[in-house]
Amino acid sequence: MVNDDSPVTRRSYLKGTAGAAAMASLAGCAFGGGGGGSDDTLTIAGTVPETGAFSSLGQDLRRGYELGQARMNEQLDRDVELILQDDESDAQTLRQNLQEMTSNNDVNMIWGSFSSLLVTAGSAFAENQNLPFLGIAFAYEEPHRNDNYEWTYSPFPKSRDVARSTLGTLDLIPEGDRPNRIGIWEPNSGWGKEQAEYWENRLGEAGYDIVLRETFEIGSQDFSTLISQSQSADVEVLLSNPTPGGGITAVNQMQSNNWSPKMLKFVRGADPSAWWSALGDAGAYALMCPGWVPGLTGNGNQQLRETYMSEYETESQYMPVNVGGSYNLTQVALQAVQAAGSIEADAIQSALRSETFQTVIGEFGFEDNGLPAEGELTAPTGQWWDGAQRLAYPNTDSERSLEFRYPIPPWSER
Amino acid sequence: MVTGELVSQSIVNGLLLGGIYAVAALGLSLVFGIMDIVNLAHGHMLMVGAYVAILLFAATGITPLLGMFLAIGLLFVLGVVLQKVLLKHVVGEGIEQPIIILFGLALILQNIGQLVLGGDARTADLGIPGSGIDLGFVFLSLPRTVTFVVAVLLIVSTWAFLQYTRTGQAIRATAQNRTAAKHMGIDTDRIYVITLGIGTALAGAAGALLSMLFPIDPYIGWSYLLKAFAVVVLGGVGSILGTLVGGVVLGVSENLGALYLGGGYRNVVSLLIFLGVLLLKPEGLFGSGGDGE
Repeated sequence: MVNDDSPVTRRSYLKGTAGAAAMASLAGCAFGGGGGGSDDTLTIAGTVPETGAFSSLGQDLRRGYELGQARMNEQLDRDVELILQDDESDAQTLRQNLQEMTSNNDVNMIWGSFSSLLVTAGSAFAENQNLPFLGIAFAYEEPHRNDNYEWTYSPFPKSRDVARSTLGTLDLIPEGDRPNRIGIWEPNSGWGKEQAEYWENRLGEAGYDIVLRETFEIGSQDFSTLISQSQSADVEVLLSNPTPGGGITAVNQMQSNNWSPKMLKFVRGADPSAWWSALGDAGAYALMCPGWVPGLTGNGNQQLRETYMSEYETESQYMPVNVGGSYNLTQVALQAVQAAGSIEADAIQSALRSETFQTVIGEFGFEDNGLPAEGELTAPTGQWWDGAQRLAYPNTDSERSLEFRYPIPPWSER
Repeated sequence: MVTGELVSQSIVNGLLLGGIYAVAALGLSLVFGIMDIVNLAHGHMLMVGAYVAILLFAATGITPLLGMFLAIGLLFVLGVVLQKVLLKHVVGEGIEQPIIILFGLALILQNIGQLVLGGDARTADLGIPGSGIDLGFVFLSLPRTVTFVVAVLLIVSTWAFLQYTRTGQAIRATAQNRTAAKHMGIDTDRIYVITLGIGTALAGAAGALLSMLFPIDPYIGWSYLLKAFAVVVLGGVGSILGTLVGGVVLGVSENLGALYLGGGYRNVVSLLIFLGVLLLKPEGLFGSGGDGE
């Protein structure tokens, strides 16, 4: 559908951004300062959590969105205006922001924030307004099935994809060394239950022994009981989807209780860079499934990396995972508008339903309820190593991927 | 399956955690018992103390056990200034005005924390080499054991101060009857300043200890206020022994609740005990049932 391995230069990026800014200024004058685009301008509203509980992820999401906007300005025969506001990691603020942005602008599409809490709040607003909505960092499947989504599309690994990716990661371990005893820490939330069930069913069917499945309260700070239970059940592989704060606390307490599994996967918990800044080497070996990880190849990955490295000063050779995740969303938006040949909501919706998309996380289409079609997109599993998240599964030939590190040694040997 | 070893470990974990809960609640209990003020900013003062220890640890590597003394000093000054500048005008004027002032202060501290330090959770560690103690049937985590010991020392020191010093006796006299204390020559305004200073300093100490165990962010104030309030009601307002027992009961019941019913019911069990005490012994396990201590 698109050829996106031609690099975006700094000049073209600035040209696109300046063009969008100029259009926004002109439109602002025309509408008495109210903002909004002309008939030809594609106006996208979105929020990112730049303050509040998810603030560590806000900058990465914004960067991915802005790189994508620049790309859209290059590729589309119309200007693309992106209006992003800080939702303060709060669903109520997010709703107010979207209300304000859609009231003051002719918005054609909405892009989501981070986490099921914020993405579903944005999605509910978009469904009410009959506007196409794209959201990442949102693995929870149930709302897609139960909330009659018509406008919401999620180009992101869902709970079933996370379970598939976990199984794939375990398959990387030679059969003789492969662990068999699985422990699941289930947050007491809808997504927590859904993810735990996928893990239990998928790994159980594959012959793994689920020796522990225990719930914990979201926001809990004391994991000592779960750690004791896991130790008592001789858990070898620990799977959970805690909040970032919860995940960090849990590993700290594992260390102080001198217990560690052989493999640890904390979906969403180990996503942000705060994981390493808080834990340092104690955070090594942890796996996550953040949607995109350095080491993926094809479909514009090289171009994304080059653009990111030229636009932002960074010492690390590894991009933050959420830049890739949010950039992937903008690729879907770009291709949907190209296929629609229009910025009318119905036409974009129709394209989202019918087209196949090629993004930095693979090639996939959507089901009618907005879920990515089962088994199509890559659900990469990343691993923390030397302060960076790098692709552990699936194997690629990228120098930014790594050979899956297993097992996690005991604390006394780390 | 719940084994005896798991039960023992949960009880020990709860016991160690309970010591921290107790010291977190002690300042709230003192201020409530002596000044009749519910310090709604207590949890946020705890957050400030935690950040003092964390920032000191991050900048210099000094263990939060020493950072705690800086937190105690800073929070004592905050309490003194708060009483001299704001609360002295409203103490004894009913419950509403102090609550409004302290609620506002809590929001201010939370927002300052968010603006200055961002929303990310931060943590420190013990900063002392060593591993936990394996007793065979239970494992004692080093940070929890050390913080428990320090928490108990703080509680005992506070008790000794109130019991054996002239200022402590004056505080207790003021708590029993402010008018009579005044007639006996006690400067009750000064006593209130000292009391609030001690209460906030204890919040700072608790925060510094907590920073070694749990991540701290600018929003933790309300949750620790709730836990501290539960401990105060359980143990009895103004009772130091009651605070210690209340903290331990809360910590152990949370851990056993998580073990037998699942972590999702962790707080349900402790809050049911809290409600039970309110129904059967509203003055708390060690409360006097009358005025003052």
